[in-house]
Amino acid sequence: MKLNIAYFYQEKLDLYGDTGNIEVLKYRAEQRGIKTNIINIGLDTKIKSSTLKGVDIVFMGGGPDSGQKDIYQDLVKNKGEYLKDYIANDGVGLFICGSYQLLGKYYKAADHSILEGLNIFNMYTEHYGTQVSRCIGNVVAELSGALTEDIYFKNNNYIGNIIVGFENHGGRTFLEETTVPFATVLKGYGNNAEDGYEGILHKNSIGTYFHGPILSKNPHLADFLIAKSLGIEKLIKLDDYIITAAHNNALKIKQ
Amino acid sequence: MLFIANQLNKIIFSGVKILKGGKGYTLPGFIILKLFPNILKGFDKKYPKGIILISGTNGKTTTSKLITDILRSNKIKVVNNSTGSNLLRGIVTSLLLDLNLLGFPKSQVAVIEVDEFVLPTLLNFITPKALVLLNLSRDQLDRFGETDTILAKWVKALQDLSSKTTLVLDSTQEISIPLSKEFKGDTKFFNDFKHSKLTVTEFFNVKNINAALKVVSLFKLTLNDCLNVVNNFEYAYGRGEVITFADKKFTLYLAKNPASLNNNIESLSTTNTMDTILFILNDNIPDGRDVSWIYDVDPSNLKAACKKKNIYVSGTRCFDMATRLHYAGVTLEKNNINPDIPTVLNLITKNENISSVGVLPNYSSMLSFRKITLGRNIL
Repeated sequence: MKLNIAYFYQEKLDLYGDTGNIEVLKYRAEQRGIKTNIINIGLDTKIKSSTLKGVDIVFMGGGPDSGQKDIYQDLVKNKGEYLKDYIANDGVGLFICGSYQLLGKYYKAADHSILEGLNIFNMYTEHYGTQVSRCIGNVVAELSGALTEDIYFKNNNYIGNIIVGFENHGGRTFLEETTVPFATVLKGYGNNAEDGYEGILHKNSIGTYFHGPILSKNPHLADFLIAKSLGIEKLIKLDDYIITAAHNNALKIKQ
Repeated sequence: MLFIANQLNKIIFSGVKILKGGKGYTLPGFIILKLFPNILKGFDKKYPKGIILISGTNGKTTTSKLITDILRSNKIKVVNNSTGSNLLRGIVTSLLLDLNLLGFPKSQVAVIEVDEFVLPTLLNFITPKALVLLNLSRDQLDRFGETDTILAKWVKALQDLSSKTTLVLDSTQEISIPLSKEFKGDTKFFNDFKHSKLTVTEFFNVKNINAALKVVSLFKLTLNDCLNVVNNFEYAYGRGEVITFADKKFTLYLAKNPASLNNNIESLSTTNTMDTILFILNDNIPDGRDVSWIYDVDPSNLKAACKKKNIYVSGTRCFDMATRLHYAGVTLEKNNINPDIPTVLNLITKNENISSVGVLPNYSSMLSFRKITLGRNIL
């Protein structure tokens, strides 16, 4: 068995240690005897149905403004269709911060200019300008029922329904009606510091503002992605003593 | 003029008084800036041999100390802010303490390291003789923002900078291209070439030395005038500093951001002189609250550096660091992970198999470690 992870734009979108998520997936899969194969998708990579056949997880990190500008045209022109199909067909995906925003309907900058998104996630993002402070700090949230009731999550969860991480974003994201948030914030800002929602859960793909990197201290979430994408109902339990201690410590630290 | 000198006089006096009261270098400058926000204006003209400014994410303390030591060994009187902070308030305190009662500096030149964020503000007040810009990399994103933002501020500051300044840049850094383009004066470039007369081994210190040599060349000093200092250089606290504690040797390598942790890990994986590594990770305000940067470090280097060594982990975020090491494939003993530094230090000193420890602390944990082992504060 093999876990194929398509990693989009690593050279441009890896600002907050987000690559650590790939390290975590690789480690946790290989501990179960599952080989991993990382497919790097960069600006030059031509998407053919054959290159991406058999992809189990798509991952895209957050990046600086310049990195997001660099990939925008390529994402919209050359990769957008593939991602739309992949997610529509229940593909498992994890999209952090800037890439979460790009998968929405649009991003409205402080000067009111509009950047069209891929329109995969039914949400939009607004930036209120540099006078309004960014959403920065430690964050703790409770995962949505739609996720925690999933058998692939339930069977592999040993530490509860809470996730921990760090957020650092200027944009405020608002979910449209009928969407499901990824989580509800217990400590921190979440999507917009107003409605208490964090991220989005759309089919089997997740958009979120969590850095940390998100999977590093949330082993239940990492295992859910592996189990769900490979269709393994119950993974072998790992010794997560150290990781659980880090998770529990993160519950206690100040925002 | 007399009025200003008089004012300065009083300020210095109260500053010194507070210093003697043990409040450190931050408070006097803080108060003075509240009263006289433009106090530093024209300070460059007070120094007969000018002011040297050094900024960048990594290497500014070492480079400043190198320049200071070289100039002093060549009989030039230097004031620096090595014991103070590199924020505006610390710089104000250090410079005011150097003035005599008439308001004239006791030193001929000031060598000042400046926080990356503060540099543009400082350049509004003074025109340095030389400005050394070492590098910019990810450091405390929660406080500084992205490096692009700082670079844009630097570029803007250089556009307005007088051409009397000599700009000193690292030719191997990408940021040097936009920076040199925007500056109308002279630019000198240094690189990572190691001269055969240098005995230093770490490549990042070679760069710091080369940067310092470019600066002192403005004082007509050559490599031969500097060799003695450079080859016998004592690194600033926490930068390769050796502390003997309970008969064990601890070598400190400040690891406060991905670049410095990567550099130090690389050096540690090529030397076999240490049998133990102690990682200390805090998340106090001076460190930044966000520790996700530890994942910007190459896991294979971490694994190689830790191979066949005793590994201990401490600090407020020790479990985050331990998790990071765990995912890099480093095997850890649960009992060797503890947030309390004295507890871990006690475990190390009791272990008879340990003689030499490489310590990788970030900023506030480095200060705590020094305080515990040396019994005193540095700031």
